[in-house]
Amino acid sequence: MDTVAAVDPERLQQEALAAVAAASTLAELDEARVQYLGRRSALKLALRDVRDRETGMTLNAVREAVEAAFAAREEDLRRAELEERLATERVDVTLPAGLVGQRKLRPRGTLHPSTLVRREVEDIFLGLGYEIVDGREVETTRYNFDALGFPEWHPARSPRDTLYLGDETVLRTETSPAQIHKMESQRPPIYMVSIGRVYRRDDITATRYPIFHQFEGLAIDDGITMADLKGTLLYVMRELYGPEREVRFRTHYFPFTEPSMEPDVSCFNCGGAGCAICKHSGWIEMGGSGIVDPYLYEFVGWGLEEYSGFAFGMGVERTAQLRYGIGDIRAFWENDLRFLRQFR
Amino acid sequence: MKVPLSWLREYVRVDATTAEIAEALSVGSAEVEGVARVGVQGEPGLFRVGHVVEAAKHPDADRLQLTSVDVGEDRPYSIVCGAWNFGAGAKVAVALPGATLPDGLVLERRKLRGKVSEGMILAEDELDLGGDHSGIIVLDDALEPGTPLADVLPLADEVLDLEPTGNRPDLFSVYGVAREVAALLGGELLPMPGSDPQQDGDEAVGIGIDDPEGCLRFIGRLLRDVTVGEAPLWLKGRLRRSGVRAISNVVDVTNYVMLALGSPLHAYDLDLLHGGLVARRARKGEKVRTLDGVERTLSAEDLVIADGERAVGLAGIMGGEETEVSSGTQSVLLEAANFEPVGILRSSERHSLRTEGSNRWEKGVDPYVAGQAATYATQLLVELSGARWTGAEDVQAELPKPAVIRLRPERASELIGLEVAAEEQSEILGRLGFKELKSGFRVPTWRARDVTREVDLIEEVARFKLADIPFTLPRREAMFGRLSRDQRLRRQVEDVLVGAGYGEVYTPTFVADGDLRLPEPLSAEAAALRAVLYASLLDPARRNADAGAGDVALFEIARTYHDVGGELPEEHWHVAGVADGGFAEAKWAVEQVYAALGIEPGYERTSEPFLHPGKAARTAEGWLGELHPAVLDGTWSAFELDLDALAEAAPQVVAFAEVSPYPEVRQDLAFVVDEDVPAAEVLAAIREAAGGLLRELEVFDEYRGEQIGEGKRSLAFRAAFGSLEGTLTDEDVAPVRASIVDALATRFDAVLRA
Repeated sequence: MDTVAAVDPERLQQEALAAVAAASTLAELDEARVQYLGRRSALKLALRDVRDRETGMTLNAVREAVEAAFAAREEDLRRAELEERLATERVDVTLPAGLVGQRKLRPRGTLHPSTLVRREVEDIFLGLGYEIVDGREVETTRYNFDALGFPEWHPARSPRDTLYLGDETVLRTETSPAQIHKMESQRPPIYMVSIGRVYRRDDITATRYPIFHQFEGLAIDDGITMADLKGTLLYVMRELYGPEREVRFRTHYFPFTEPSMEPDVSCFNCGGAGCAICKHSGWIEMGGSGIVDPYLYEFVGWGLEEYSGFAFGMGVERTAQLRYGIGDIRAFWENDLRFLRQFR
Repeated sequence: MKVPLSWLREYVRVDATTAEIAEALSVGSAEVEGVARVGVQGEPGLFRVGHVVEAAKHPDADRLQLTSVDVGEDRPYSIVCGAWNFGAGAKVAVALPGATLPDGLVLERRKLRGKVSEGMILAEDELDLGGDHSGIIVLDDALEPGTPLADVLPLADEVLDLEPTGNRPDLFSVYGVAREVAALLGGELLPMPGSDPQQDGDEAVGIGIDDPEGCLRFIGRLLRDVTVGEAPLWLKGRLRRSGVRAISNVVDVTNYVMLALGSPLHAYDLDLLHGGLVARRARKGEKVRTLDGVERTLSAEDLVIADGERAVGLAGIMGGEETEVSSGTQSVLLEAANFEPVGILRSSERHSLRTEGSNRWEKGVDPYVAGQAATYATQLLVELSGARWTGAEDVQAELPKPAVIRLRPERASELIGLEVAAEEQSEILGRLGFKELKSGFRVPTWRARDVTREVDLIEEVARFKLADIPFTLPRREAMFGRLSRDQRLRRQVEDVLVGAGYGEVYTPTFVADGDLRLPEPLSAEAAALRAVLYASLLDPARRNADAGAGDVALFEIARTYHDVGGELPEEHWHVAGVADGGFAEAKWAVEQVYAALGIEPGYERTSEPFLHPGKAARTAEGWLGELHPAVLDGTWSAFELDLDALAEAAPQVVAFAEVSPYPEVRQDLAFVVDEDVPAAEVLAAIREAAGGLLRELEVFDEYRGEQIGEGKRSLAFRAAFGSLEGTLTDEDVAPVRASIVDALATRFDAVLRA
């Protein structure tokens, strides 16, 4: 009991803090640490002999304060020593790489599977005489929704589904706004594919990620038909999934096409007999498509029947998943080199 | 929308299997997520009506009954049962040994507390017809023992899981789906269910519409002498298989009719209402406690149903708790109405409250079907709750008149790309309820919102012909397909970096903080749009290194977003890389990119808080350097370049200079200069001093040592001189060399090493 009384916690704390402040190198700081927090330090000895709760709490508060001061000072000193060391390391940044230090002989890198698919899709459409359009990612609601005929009630307009940046600006929910910009900039014939990132407010799961890539085609010309859409999709699907593939339409609804259909491709895994990949239906859903809704022509100021056209949209990741058999969409964003390095 | 097949087939006679119905709907109408088999899966013959011959307490168990049940065999079966809501003489539902219950349990003959039990007397939950397990099912006394239970109760069914698109509210009802099936498969659609029972009185209901924009139609019907109780099992079973919980006969009838016809209804306890009902906008700050027990403060945009004193429900979304039908209810006011969709959608969003009702209203319900819904519900309430129907009112604002739309059959064939005969087009539309008139086709009321133009009629025809449409390609007059310059450049940069050993990654667009913040972020880490890429690569670099990957070098090409004060941010394509290793790694990669694009970059020392202070450089298009160890532990290098600026800087045409046929003179020159004189400046000075004869120049060595002296270094250059005119000699080059030496001495105090 006497030893406890001999320690004045307040004074002890002041002394320790002063010593921390006085230490100008890590070595000095270590010395001070032994003195004030070591096993034989006055504080530790006092703590060991504590008999009553109040004294214990007081001393522990002192210990915590002193430890925190040491930690903070150590961080400062380490940073200062690091900066000091870095200041002495200096290279002539204008020298060629070969003269400014060691460089590894790295094995060849790899493209991301989404890039592999993107290039393949681009090349297929370039071969069909389409141009590739990038478009913006942040769009006005006017181009992302209004121009595309999204009715006022459409759930996509809700902030529950769409990422708004401002009251009237959103991260595009599909690459279609690029099509409107194109239509505003020129008259048909238009044959284009827009490709890039799109955004939806989704939780991250094995099948959904709030960012993904789409490729959307648009063809507007004289006399374009649903049969032209079907034939184009058949060609593209056969290029992507093999010459044996068949394509069928299922009716659907999209604001910017009428009629609207979802194209299915016959399962490349089972050939249509039914398996896990096609959920035993023999068909795999590929995305959306349809005949351009005359509303879009009206929006850009063309006559309603001057031209006709088709549009379709599909997911890059989904295509890559099907091509390579990737089960979990999160793999595209985890950037694990053990995964990525397999794609060559 | 879950559609029990037994229910569907009540409304349509069609010669097609469930699989054929599912396939036809899936192709022609709406996605079929699946077909579930529900209820009893095994041998249905083992489920029988039983007659309890004897029932007494189990001699060795206080909570069990020991019964003897006639199940139509030559002897009664002995069954031990835990329920007490029946006794000798009751008709019950029995499953015999060998029967498989819906949950997969296979019954066996077994002993319970010493007494043999040959099967089970069933409660509704054991047949998956309801949720009740408080007692067993007591059947109609008139039934013969041994009657197959399947004749009495819906033991098994198939349920279509249909996902209609937003433009097809008509498919959110069993009858609507039946109508579609009849059209697709050539079946016979039976009339809508429901006919009014005898009205027993003529009481005034007191219905009003205060807001004809929000409420187009309001039907009120009064029912007296209601006995609230349980709905019959056939109805509870259908609700259950449609995904709706059974509550009481009155509420269940409203839900059943909603599922059948697609028009939601609501029942109020008439005795708890103060006066009649009116559809009006809420008063600002008005409150209503909805059936889920939540007190909701209303806004002036919310449409409510109100009695003389207060709001008694959020119109179309959820009724109020105070006027809810309960076990003691004796009189009911039945509401069948029609609400405007967008207002309901907004209210539902505002209150974060979605219900079976709001889900239908927000898509647009046919106002003409409300009458039939009221009729059918009245009929069922009279039949199932013993009620008397004593009053009716139907208040209507102006209901939309069905549109008549002209269809040019040749235009349809043209757009579809398939010749479809005009008669066939008429026939398809006729099957769907479109009435052909001289002036065109009259749109059926249940499709009025979706079909407004000729092209919408064409879609109706097309969706019946999808399989027949041929495969053709556009007949084009000209083809132009080429990557843009920027796109080619991006591919080139990708390839260069892959060649340099970098692996491509895709990282999210979002970062924790930045100028362009999302008002409603995805998460704390995804709250703003990124203005730089390299920071997104740090985490993947660290994680790959931690996972033990060697040679970690990552790059990404993506957009960055910059707030420049306009309506939309500027978007710039950037390329960034992070690699394990020092400054030379980033320098090499950046040099490769510039070389591939034919750009001669200028490097200058720079400083950035995230870079090593002595190993950081910038170019006109970006930066490169060693990362500060505080940013990423260990030795890492990084770079980031603006691809748009690179495209700008890249020459469009190659600047070619003729190669001299005469040999060149090659000379090495080494100069001692101050440590802080950059090699690039010396190179530039040499070039300037050398004049027209200089063909090539590169720095090939850097040396520090005692002979050179503290604070100095030697830089060695290799130069090639040449002329198109003839062979140069050392003498020709000597004056050039001298002017180089002079220039460097003057500018940098440089000394030529012997």
